[in-house]
Amino acid sequence: MKEKVLSEHFSIDNFFKLDVYLKHNGYQAVKKALTELNPEKILKEAKAANLRGRGGAGFPAGVKWGFVPQNGDKPKYMCVNADEGEPGTIKDRYIMTHNPHLLLEGIIISSYCVGINTAYIYIRGEYENIALRLETAIDEAFQKGFLGKDILGSGFDLDITIHRGAGAYICGEETALLESLEGKRGNPRLKPPFPASIGLFQCPTVINNVETLANIPSIILKGAEWFCALGLPNDGGTRIFGVSGMVKNPGIYELPVGTNLKDLIFKYAGGMKEGKKLKAVIPGGMSSPILKADEIDITMDSDTLMKADSMIGSGAVIVLDEDTSILDVLTIITKFYSHESCGQCTPCRIGNSWIKKIVTRISRGEGKDGDIDNIARLASNMVGKTLCPLGDAAAMPILSIVKKFRDELETSIK
Amino acid sequence: MMKIYIDDREVHVEKGMTVFKAAENAGIEIPHLCYHPAFPPEGTCRMCLVEIEGLPKLELACSTQVKDGMKVHTKSEKVVEARKGVLEFLLAEHPMDCPICDQAGDCKLQDYYEEYGLFENNFSESKERREKKIRLGKHLIHDNERCVLCRRCVRFLREVVGTGEMGVFERGIATEVNILDGMPIDNNYSGNLAQLCPVGAITDTDFRFQTRSWFLEKGEAICPLCSRGCNIFIEHHRGFSRFDLPKRVYRISARENAEINSYWICDIGRYGYYSLDENRAEKIIANNNISIKNYEAVLAFFTEKIKRLLYKKKTSRITLLLNTFLTNEELFLLKKIFQDDLGIKNIFFIDPPAGESDAILLTSDRTPNKKGAEELGFEITPFELGNLADETEVLIIFGNYIAEIFSLSDIQAYFDRIKDTFLFTPHRSELDSKVGIMFPTAMTPEKGGSLTNVDGKIQKFSPVLEAPGDGKAEWKILAELGTKLDVNFKYYKKFLSPEEIFRQMQKEIPFFEK
Repeated sequence: MKEKVLSEHFSIDNFFKLDVYLKHNGYQAVKKALTELNPEKILKEAKAANLRGRGGAGFPAGVKWGFVPQNGDKPKYMCVNADEGEPGTIKDRYIMTHNPHLLLEGIIISSYCVGINTAYIYIRGEYENIALRLETAIDEAFQKGFLGKDILGSGFDLDITIHRGAGAYICGEETALLESLEGKRGNPRLKPPFPASIGLFQCPTVINNVETLANIPSIILKGAEWFCALGLPNDGGTRIFGVSGMVKNPGIYELPVGTNLKDLIFKYAGGMKEGKKLKAVIPGGMSSPILKADEIDITMDSDTLMKADSMIGSGAVIVLDEDTSILDVLTIITKFYSHESCGQCTPCRIGNSWIKKIVTRISRGEGKDGDIDNIARLASNMVGKTLCPLGDAAAMPILSIVKKFRDELETSIK
Repeated sequence: MMKIYIDDREVHVEKGMTVFKAAENAGIEIPHLCYHPAFPPEGTCRMCLVEIEGLPKLELACSTQVKDGMKVHTKSEKVVEARKGVLEFLLAEHPMDCPICDQAGDCKLQDYYEEYGLFENNFSESKERREKKIRLGKHLIHDNERCVLCRRCVRFLREVVGTGEMGVFERGIATEVNILDGMPIDNNYSGNLAQLCPVGAITDTDFRFQTRSWFLEKGEAICPLCSRGCNIFIEHHRGFSRFDLPKRVYRISARENAEINSYWICDIGRYGYYSLDENRAEKIIANNNISIKNYEAVLAFFTEKIKRLLYKKKTSRITLLLNTFLTNEELFLLKKIFQDDLGIKNIFFIDPPAGESDAILLTSDRTPNKKGAEELGFEITPFELGNLADETEVLIIFGNYIAEIFSLSDIQAYFDRIKDTFLFTPHRSELDSKVGIMFPTAMTPEKGGSLTNVDGKIQKFSPVLEAPGDGKAEWKILAELGTKLDVNFKYYKKFLSPEEIFRQMQKEIPFFEK
């Protein structure tokens, strides 16, 4: 049995309640961090753990905290990105549903490390029940003195506020999230300045994904070395892979970073449903470029997938079988991104809509010669030219599909 | 100071400057739609992408700050391809109704297509249909199909005017700008939106479908409708040989002046141009059986009336009504002739009543040169009809604002007692029949000279238009009067242009020296 960091206690009844959580070593990490360690030591530990961001970009969490200026007179903020919207992604909802106090511990420790006294959890609007559960967990933590003023007599104060989103994918982009949190239209901001220096309410801000923060307590308790050893040398720990699509046992699997994708599908998720043949895999949420069946003998970590021209993203593995029409996949992808583009910058606003129009026409059986070339050309015109990563997130999977399944797409035209 | 290289040219820049600004200073134009120097960079149109050596992606010129030794390419193949790509996206959803668009000829999209585009149309899908005639406010109509979503309008209303009537609605391809529910744009700066719009999305109801921009000539002028002295363009039409146009001036637009009006003007100034073409006084009117047909005769008659009192040493029987639309030069000549040479004390001012001021540009004075008059040493005594001394024999009036303030019957009662009344005015009014002689004059854009704004800034200007009919600039009439009066005629001989009068003012009045 592989060691689990996040989902070990998921099956324990009422684990989300503080009294049950406390029976399983709960809040020991907070206690250790606030009473035995100082912020410098925590930062050192987080950096040594090689914990890479689990939201999609894979940026090392400790390095991110280190960017926050420590000598300013402005307040600093922590924003927890719980706007889990990447299609296929279900990891954060499991963490927040079954282990909300683990997340809270992560928030408390990282806030203490960076010197933050106010944290916001920006949670996806549809996660209403989870938001209520988090609210209860926060209340419990307040009552027991893990939140609020002078936590565990350390002199450190922290307040956590939950903010529910209103259903826009783009608000998962960190600067759009900040805009939305400030009560504005959720449009991404121009970077630089980066949120670490000018973020929420123009103040230094740390934005971390739920899963990223939930790893912090274990790193504090068991050490960076232990955490690092779970995964790969520069990409430590485990990840919760959410496997969906045409596998026998879809669901979440917490496995070490660097687990082979083939094993994930065939060993852990039970292989293909109804004995069908594997056609392709989208390895890290819908915005990651597709892998063909013969490309899945690959380890699941940021660097390896990047070398394979894809990305690990949110670790959401979408498995497609031989019966899946690639044109349908393309249609779903283009519809999604043209619907979710914030509309702010030209290439994303018009490019996504244009591609969607072509793909929809092809799926109506009205494709023409040159359509596929045009799709590829338009997608290329988006890559690297948009204000935020959504343009790339839309164009990269489209380009990969056109490249790898061109023949099948061409047959839809003839 | 730092050095960077733009298109292999060495450019000296200051820390914190953007690549866009550095290029602009070096005379290199970078295409842009959302960028406007009045606002922080928006970075959404993606037209200003440039290549910076050592960076993997193209970067925005509008927001990227210069670094010492930076090598920027604004016309490399990669950059031109990216521009083409962005332009193709914009044009794919653009209605291409240039033949009926007011912006045509003055449109960034057209310019950039000519420079970077000229590509085949690969867009065979149906364009989004959107509302093409949204009434945004009194002066503005918005066409959402033409809109490129630069959001200059939204930002202007939020950041400059502070009223925030407009916002962005919907998302993705459905994104549109519009006014918020029940918030039409009726602020005094609304007209700037049509000028600020880089395409023909926001059009001015006043200008809509009136003419084509390429027929218009832009004359540099100063707005005379308050004491701010905003810099403007008077956009006028030279006309066609085969038919007459209904007017000369088709619109007034803001002309940049960082020290005075930035990039904006108010609606009072922008829509004040009707007075240039409407109700103008063009011909001399002589009442009371005076038979006078031309300027020379008027001048001779006028001079004779004044001389008569001068010889009788009874110049106290002359009363002068001035206004602060008059230029520094004109007021200077008036002071020299009537105050210094003739010793007249009955000098009053009659201006349009003061109005509301705001914290943006508009001042409460509704004339451009009150400060100039004060600096020339005039005491701005507001005129009452009772000020007219019983002994007044000659009344000289500049402008017809008297008719706006006092009732005609009251004026008539006072005028009946006066032998000779001379009215110098650019506009017709009921006053014309109450005076002895009405002589048409030029309006501010029809003459040269200078004005002193509320902050004491002296701004010179040249005529943009000709005065209609017999109309003449007051400075010219006054300079000639000066030469004919036999008091100090040599002094006035040299005043053949406002520039010469200004030089004399500089010699005599320290304020104008600077």
